[in-house]
Amino acid sequence: MSSVHNQPILELGGVDFRYFRTEPLIRDMTFSVENGEFIGLLGANGSGKSTILKLASGILKPSVGHIKLWGKELASYGNRDRAKLLCYLPQLLDINVPFKVRELAGMGLYPYDIPPEISVDEALDLVGLLDKSESYLANLSGGERQRAFIAMTLLQGAGLLLLDEPLANLDIKYQLEIHRLLKKLKDTKNISVIMALHDVNIALQFEKVMLIKDGRVLGIGRPENILNRDLMKEAFDVSIEIRKQNGGGTYLNYGDNP
Amino acid sequence: MSKIKLFLLAVTSASIFLASLFFGQNTINPFNLQGTEKEILLSIRLPRVLVAFLMGSALGVSGAVLQGMLRNPLADPYILGISSGAALAAAFGLVTGSYVLGKFTIPFAAFFGASIVSILVGAFGWKKGRLLPERLLLAGVGLSFLFYALLMLLISVSSYEGIRRAVLWIFGDLSIADWSLIPYGLVFILSGMYISISRSKALNALMLGDDLAHSLGFSARRERLLFFVSVALMTSASVSLGGTIGFIGLLVPHIVRFVIGADNSSVIPVSAVSGGAFLCGADLIGRSIAPPMEIPSGIITAVIGSPYFLYLLRKKDVLGS
Repeated sequence: MSSVHNQPILELGGVDFRYFRTEPLIRDMTFSVENGEFIGLLGANGSGKSTILKLASGILKPSVGHIKLWGKELASYGNRDRAKLLCYLPQLLDINVPFKVRELAGMGLYPYDIPPEISVDEALDLVGLLDKSESYLANLSGGERQRAFIAMTLLQGAGLLLLDEPLANLDIKYQLEIHRLLKKLKDTKNISVIMALHDVNIALQFEKVMLIKDGRVLGIGRPENILNRDLMKEAFDVSIEIRKQNGGGTYLNYGDNP
Repeated sequence: MSKIKLFLLAVTSASIFLASLFFGQNTINPFNLQGTEKEILLSIRLPRVLVAFLMGSALGVSGAVLQGMLRNPLADPYILGISSGAALAAAFGLVTGSYVLGKFTIPFAAFFGASIVSILVGAFGWKKGRLLPERLLLAGVGLSFLFYALLMLLISVSSYEGIRRAVLWIFGDLSIADWSLIPYGLVFILSGMYISISRSKALNALMLGDDLAHSLGFSARRERLLFFVSVALMTSASVSLGGTIGFIGLLVPHIVRFVIGADNSSVIPVSAVSGGAFLCGADLIGRSIAPPMEIPSGIITAVIGSPYFLYLLRKKDVLGS
C-alpha cells in the first residue's frame, strides 16, 4: 500500500479528443491529479474545460492517449465501481427535474448497497437546504438547485470530484461556503477536486490552477505563477494580471495600468 | 409514499376491480352464484376484467418508463408508433377474414405488427451505438403516419362488416378477451414490468440526464435500451390482448406523479395498479352505458383522458416550470 500515497489519482497522458471527422477539441493533454489536490481549470469559453472533465469522468473516450484512475485504465472500471471513486457534476443550468430535494440528494447513494457514513440530512444541512428538503427542485432558485446537486455529490462520497462551473449560479455567500465546504472535505476526507471556472477571482483561491486554450495546456501551477500577464493575454485575449498588495493579499489588475 | 395514500390506492383499485366483475350488462350477486351467473362470471367476466387490468397496468408502466427514459412528459407507448403497426396487422387479419390461427389470429397479428414496428423504431432511433431520445420519438411519429395511412387504405378498400370490426378493435375491444390469451399476455407483460421495476433507480438517474446517470454509475445507453425493450414487450402484449387503448399510458403516470411525487421506485408500481384499475373502470362504464351495445374502452379512456391532457398542458407546474 505504500505506493498508493505517491500514486496520482487521475492521470491523463497524451490525450487527444475529437468528434468524428472534426478538428480535435483536446490536443496532447497530459497532467495528473495527486491525492488531496484542488485544481482550478481556467480558460475562455470553448477552450475545452467541459470536454476535459467529460474525458476525465469517462463520459467521453479519448481518441488518442490514456486516462488512468488510481493507476488503472479508466475504461476498465465497472460503472458502479467508478461511481464510488469519481463523481462528475455537469453544468446544471438547464436541468429541470421533477424530484424533491431529498429525493435528488438521496440518489448520490445509488452506487452503494450499504450507504456510507454521511446521511441525507447531514448532506442537506451542509449545503444549507435542510429546511427545503421536501421542496420540489422546480420551485427552488438556481443557486438552491445547484446546492441540492452538490448535496447529491457529497452523498456519493467519491474521492475525486469533477465539477463543471459549480459556483456559476451562486450568491457570493454560497460560492464561499461551497468552496470552504470542499476545502474542509479535502482536509478531513482527503478528496481531490478539479473544478472548471471562468472567474479569475475564484481561481486565485486555488492552490493550483490549470490554464487552457484551444484544448491545450498553457500552464499548470500556483495561480500567482500561472496567471501572469502573458499567459492571461494568450488565454483570454485581455490584459489582466495578479498583483500582490503590500499587506500580503492579492488582487487583479485590469487593463494596462502600471 | 405515505401509508394513507397506499391504503386508498389499494382500496379504490380493489373496489373498481370487484365492481367490474359483478356489474355490467347483468348484475351478478357474488353471494348467490348460480348456474348461468357463475358461468358468466368465470368464463366471461373474470378473463375480461383480468385482461383489462393487465393491459391497463402494462400501458401505465410503459408510459411512466417512456416519459422518464425520453425525458419527455408527452411521451406515451403509442407515440413510438407501436400501436400503428399492431393496428395495421390486426386490421389486415380482421378485414381479410383470414383466420389462419383461429381465435389467436388477431392477437398474434397485432403482436407481430407491434414487434416489427418496435424493431423499426429502435433501428431508426439508433445512432453511434445508442438510442437517442429525440430520434426515437421522431422515428415513432414518422412510422405512425406511414402505418396509419396504410391502415386507412386497407379500411377504404374493404367490405362493410370488416371495417366496423377493425374500427372497434382499433379503439380497444375487450369483448374478445378469454382465458386462452392471458398466459401469453402475462409472460410478456410481467417480464417488461420486472425489468422496469428492478431498474427504477436507473430510470430516476436517466431523468437527471445521461451525464449524471453516468456519474451515478449507470450506463445510459444500456439502461435506455433495456427500458425500450421492456416497453416494446409490454405495449405489444397489451395491444394484442385488446386493441390500442389510448391515453392510459399518457395520463396515468402524470396523475400518479401528481399525487405521490416522481420517484420511479413508487411511480412504476403505482402506475401499474392505477392503470389496471383505470382500464377496468373504463371497460365497466363502456359496457354499462347502453347494453347490450358496448362502447370500446379506448373511447371511454380518451373521453376522460383528452380533457385531462388539455388541462395538464395548461397547468404547467405539473410538467415542470
